[in-house]
Amino acid sequence: MKVWPLQFRKLDEDDILFSDDAGAFFRSSEAFLDRYVNNQLTDHDSAFLKLGGHAFDAVGDPAFVGFASRWTQRINPVTSLGYVILVPTLRCNLMCDYCQVSRAAENARGFDWDDEKLAQVIAFLDHQPTTEIKIEFQGGEPLLRLDLLVAVRKFCRSKFAKSEFVICTNLQDVSEDAWRFLEAEDTYVSTSFDGTSELHQTQRTKTASAHEQFNANLDLALERLGTDRVSALPTIDPLNPPEPTDVISAFVSRGLGSIFLRRVNYQGFARKKYGLGKSHQEWTDYYRRFVGALINHNATAEHMIEEYYLSHTLRRILQGGHHNHVDMRNPNWMGVDYLVIDFDGNFYPTDEARMVSRVGQIDLSIGSLNSGLDVQKISAFNQHASNFDDPDCVHCVYKAYCGLDLVDDLSRYGRIDIPRHQTEHCRSHMDFFDFAFELLYSEDPDVHKSIASWLQVPRYNQTMAQRHP
Amino acid sequence: MIQLQLKIDPIPIVEPLVVRLRTSPPDLSATESDHDAMMVSKGTESADFDVNGFSLRVHTRQAESLDGDVVLVVPGRGTLHRLIRASSNHNTLLITEQCDQKCIMCSQPPKKYHRDMFDQFLQAIVLAPREATIGLSGGEPFLHKARLMEFLRKAQTARPDIRFHILTNCQHFEPADEADLNSLNMASILWGIPIYAANPTIHDQIVAKEGAFEILERNLALLGKAGAVLELRTVILKSNITELEELANHVTRNLSFAQVWAIMQLENIGYARMNWETEFCDTSTEFNGVADAVDLAVGRGLRTKLYNFPLCTVPPAYRECCTLSISDWKQKFLPTCDDCELRSSCTGFFEWYPEERGFSGIRAQ
Repeated sequence: MKVWPLQFRKLDEDDILFSDDAGAFFRSSEAFLDRYVNNQLTDHDSAFLKLGGHAFDAVGDPAFVGFASRWTQRINPVTSLGYVILVPTLRCNLMCDYCQVSRAAENARGFDWDDEKLAQVIAFLDHQPTTEIKIEFQGGEPLLRLDLLVAVRKFCRSKFAKSEFVICTNLQDVSEDAWRFLEAEDTYVSTSFDGTSELHQTQRTKTASAHEQFNANLDLALERLGTDRVSALPTIDPLNPPEPTDVISAFVSRGLGSIFLRRVNYQGFARKKYGLGKSHQEWTDYYRRFVGALINHNATAEHMIEEYYLSHTLRRILQGGHHNHVDMRNPNWMGVDYLVIDFDGNFYPTDEARMVSRVGQIDLSIGSLNSGLDVQKISAFNQHASNFDDPDCVHCVYKAYCGLDLVDDLSRYGRIDIPRHQTEHCRSHMDFFDFAFELLYSEDPDVHKSIASWLQVPRYNQTMAQRHP
Repeated sequence: MIQLQLKIDPIPIVEPLVVRLRTSPPDLSATESDHDAMMVSKGTESADFDVNGFSLRVHTRQAESLDGDVVLVVPGRGTLHRLIRASSNHNTLLITEQCDQKCIMCSQPPKKYHRDMFDQFLQAIVLAPREATIGLSGGEPFLHKARLMEFLRKAQTARPDIRFHILTNCQHFEPADEADLNSLNMASILWGIPIYAANPTIHDQIVAKEGAFEILERNLALLGKAGAVLELRTVILKSNITELEELANHVTRNLSFAQVWAIMQLENIGYARMNWETEFCDTSTEFNGVADAVDLAVGRGLRTKLYNFPLCTVPPAYRECCTLSISDWKQKFLPTCDDCELRSSCTGFFEWYPEERGFSGIRAQ
């Protein structure tokens, strides 16, 4: 019998988490680690490893092929471009605290696509080989240029067999024409809602009247589009966070079942001032407190609620696949299936890359509508897009579930080769995975009930969280 | 019950004949063929179809329901077989009745003799409705591997739009078959393969063939590598119900290339009728064995289905897994079902379901 390489991480005294490259995991003891390292596995060990899919007898046997298949399912395949973020205007009618770079004043000139840009965008989309496309409109505030949204959507509907549209809007001013545009079945609204009205007003809408307007529009969106087609994302400042139960009841009262907690992501000057390093622990503590409150809520609730990133992570841990989130996939291909086209026609691999470039920190553009995709720059990115051969990741127990975030590394450190565990992405994800595994191994029936609902299974079967004596 | 055979007045043929019955002119999207037999006259008890100048009288009161059906007429016989019913999603060609296993719940016990009908079946595929899914079953179809592979290659060439659902015990592949398998369009074939336990002894006992599990595992790996789309099928029995969760673990770990796992309730016919008392699990009163297995398999991301489970026998949280698995021609409902709100989404019961010794928890929802 041959055992596939195991990674491990000490969780507690005599309590070690093990995982293999295909993502199967278990908890065991120091004594087992010694036996594993010294090649002294007992028959009992061997039987356990075999049953868990961590070992095989001969190349090509079912255990081998099964492992290979599970490993393959964890690899993000190269696909054709199917998700495009468009920024038809950089102008915005709000001035939110944390938005220093991705907006221009509502009356400013020169921050919108002109006719030529629109024609170029459409020509670019026309050249894509895919039959299915998702277009996300970012800004600025995209509803300020409803005419451009209409033109792009009309083209996509005629060109692609399937197309979907996400409008990232602050829902501040929504004309009747805009409502009718948003009501289409293939169109979704993604808005920001910072969890409580007080906080949202302080951080975003500022005045009571503007806030009232947003509130009414959010309610109207839910009423006219339905809760399935509207998502609201709270941005949280770890140093001044809302009370979790307040956020939860605000979402519940609106019939929203999914909360994606986003930690405020300062750029440039503000990043130095409010530094993430300073708030790392606060964020971790808050996140845990928040999920604890969710679990309490779900214990008795009829309609259960999830934190999106946690559900997504649990699915990645237990099931593999689920390559649809750019913060957690491996390899994290850049400029391949996903592309941002800025208001000026520049291409970026992610929205964060667009922000980082805007503050002049480093130019992460990967071409433009005028010059096409910058193949050289993209391939430079993609030589380092996977954690397979990262000297730190190869030893990590969470390797099979995690991924790299080159843009984040570049934006924070200006380079991608500093020891992984010193990066913010790694530190926050280590904490995050530790927490996810704590939940998976919890004995609390309330936790099980929540996990079942997040995984969309009838019951959480605890044998998925194996222990080996 | 829908009739699969209809009475006819025998016609003077020497070879088995495959034709497509037409009661209305073929629409433009259909493939035209000189194998179309148009209805020329219709009475209350029968209808006459024109087969190349001969009149074929079919005894039926609902001639229109036969429109587009591909039928087989055998020389000297007074019946025709509806090989492919145009209005149904449940069409299966019985390749052979021979089998090398003797599963204790077999619904179609093996017979000794085989009649090669591949030529007729190929003709039937050519005449099938567009984008139909056709089941190939037995017995064990791959006892006639060379002919079957030839049939599949020709059928896929003639009608690339047709999808196949092949039921096989997976005992008859060899490593040398890999090239042959690769020459098929694997994307349009669903392989339905039974596995009854992760414990070789129990599996072998259920299929009554020593060493079957080992061959099954080897060949599943072979099919997996060839990119086969696999539906693993497990009939639950008293012999394997306590092993089901372990099987869920095995399937999600070692057979992780399978796309679907079907957990199936027993069909009271063939050997299953004989072994009903000792093997039927009343999951309407004890569902835990199934529940644990479903929780584990779905939790690990495997699409898991419950076949032949009436909805009222399944706790609400698991009903999403139930499918309309019982073929239309052998499906029935009970008098209790008349008042049930879930009837239209329920698979119902097999025609030969024994109420007096079946589920004890049948009640209208």
